Amino acid sequence: MFNRDTWLEIANTVMTHPMRTFLTGLSIALGVFILVVMQGLGFGLQNGVKSQFADDAVNSVWVDSGRTQLSYRGNKANRRIKMRENDVEAMFQQMDTVEVFSRRIRIWGLPMEYRDKQIYFPMRGVDPGHQELENTTLTGGRYISQRDVDEERKVAVVGNNIIEDLYDNADPVGTYLMIQGVQFMVVGTFNDPASRWENKMAYLPFSTAQKIFRNKNSGDVVDQVIVGTGSMPIPETTNMTASLLSWFKERKVVHPDDARGITMENNNEEYERFQNIFMGIELFIWGIGLLTLLAGAVGVANILAIAVKERTKEIGVRKALGASSASVVALVVQESLALMIVSGSAGLVVGVWLLELVSPMIDHEYFKNPQVDYRIALVALAILTLVGVLSGVGPAIRAVSIRPVEALRDE
Amino acid sequence: MIKLQNLRKSYTTGNQKLEVLKGLSCHVKEGEIVAIMGSSGSGKSTLLNILGLLDGFDSGEYILAGESMSGLGERAAAKYRSKFLGFVFQSFNLIGFKTAIENVALPLYYQKVSRKERTATAMEYLKKVGLEDWALHLPNQMSGGQKQRVAIARALVAKPKVILADEPTGALDSKTSREVMTLLREINKEGITMIIVTHEHDIAALCDRTILLSDGLIV
Repeated sequence: MFNRDTWLEIANTVMTHPMRTFLTGLSIALGVFILVVMQGLGFGLQNGVKSQFADDAVNSVWVDSGRTQLSYRGNKANRRIKMRENDVEAMFQQMDTVEVFSRRIRIWGLPMEYRDKQIYFPMRGVDPGHQELENTTLTGGRYISQRDVDEERKVAVVGNNIIEDLYDNADPVGTYLMIQGVQFMVVGTFNDPASRWENKMAYLPFSTAQKIFRNKNSGDVVDQVIVGTGSMPIPETTNMTASLLSWFKERKVVHPDDARGITMENNNEEYERFQNIFMGIELFIWGIGLLTLLAGAVGVANILAIAVKERTKEIGVRKALGASSASVVALVVQESLALMIVSGSAGLVVGVWLLELVSPMIDHEYFKNPQVDYRIALVALAILTLVGVLSGVGPAIRAVSIRPVEALRDE
Repeated sequence: MIKLQNLRKSYTTGNQKLEVLKGLSCHVKEGEIVAIMGSSGSGKSTLLNILGLLDGFDSGEYILAGESMSGLGERAAAKYRSKFLGFVFQSFNLIGFKTAIENVALPLYYQKVSRKERTATAMEYLKKVGLEDWALHLPNQMSGGQKQRVAIARALVAKPKVILADEPTGALDSKTSREVMTLLREINKEGITMIIVTHEHDIAALCDRTILLSDGLIV
């Protein structure tokens, strides 16, 4: 079908109206370009957020306490709920298996001193499991160990900001850090590329932190508990979390509908929510892209209709010379198809090139690696081909119905 | 070669029915060169279209080369057209973006002749009309007379039995008109039947006989 003669025909028709052909092709190219770029950007957004989540281990439940919203069984609203050690122990007993866990104490700012330099940094008292749950990457030394917790040792693991600001980038491992007047030995360092807040943290063993920085009244208070759910599938995790939450609320006398007294957040759900958002974004992008392509296709159909009108006499002559209806249809549809594929490919190439160009320049937490999925490119081209044929059909049918008699009338 | 018997043709425009050919009969023998004359509105264009299988007719008979042309479908008409007929138009009707040789070769293209053969045959006929040096020229690079000669070559290339010419010299000056008519008469001498529609008496005088058309009938 696409032999040399056909190409010559198409080339000739294009050359007769270069500007018109160019503009029509441009609208197609633009449609494809928009689709490709938007798809790539959406992909980049997905990648970025995914990498953020890769930072925090996905399969975990975060238990937190706050103030109640509702009054319940004689207790007034706005009552402060405190988790205590025995609560945590009871909770662990409620669960079938507890693979990884960490209790947490947090203090927003403590004065930390090294060699006459004093800066306030946040502190967290944790169990060894915290490393896995927070996905902390060590850059030197070691993390808090079980022994540190058991023996209430005065050790610390510090983040990159502390190294930069307090230690002027010297290696702190093995040195002594003064935290609110108490000496701690730095045993490890870490860096979290995704969170600046995290890098300001100094991690201490849970027991040590509790003993030194909490007064007698709140000596056994646990601010947060994180429990890893390992390979438990999401629906199961959700169920577990729900039943655990209602149990815990009962225990602390919190109204079942109270959303703030006790909270248990499931990272999985967050992640799933993001997935849904992404699906929505992707559909949106495709919708816009396809509509743009459709607009371009309408443009092509229009131009073809005009072209057919202009070539009425020529088509009449061809029919008089023995052209079959099929060859006339082919004449029209081939031109449409060629135009769409060429301009569509151009749009595709430019779109991909732009993404490749821009990709290394973008360095944002929530945006990584915008790229074109090659399947998308193929789908786009397939759609284009289909649309190209369809755009040609209407004008082609009209061309076929041209009667040589009327076409050749010299009046 | 051509036999018309009681041919009738009407056109419907809106609610008006206009009868253009009112029972026309005539007979053209093989090898004749015949002129058809008539004033505007006499129906000569319609007649030519019907003869050329470009239009159908309502009733009557049209026998071409011994075969009946009644009730032909589009495909059959196209087949007979390319087999028996060649056309020459007043306004040449060459395809503007094709060279002379490509124009001449076009009927052969629709007969599915190979490219090589097409080009060779087309060149042969261009030689016959004396335009082999202009083979690669575009129509807008040629004079009226040259374009008409290319059109004649195109009409001949499929070896038709009949050539239908609609005012072939209508757009040409008198000198060129004479040249074209000479060419047509030469072709006619090789045995190809010719029907020339014209309103000029000098042209009609160069034909074997004239058929006079008036109000849809031969007088």
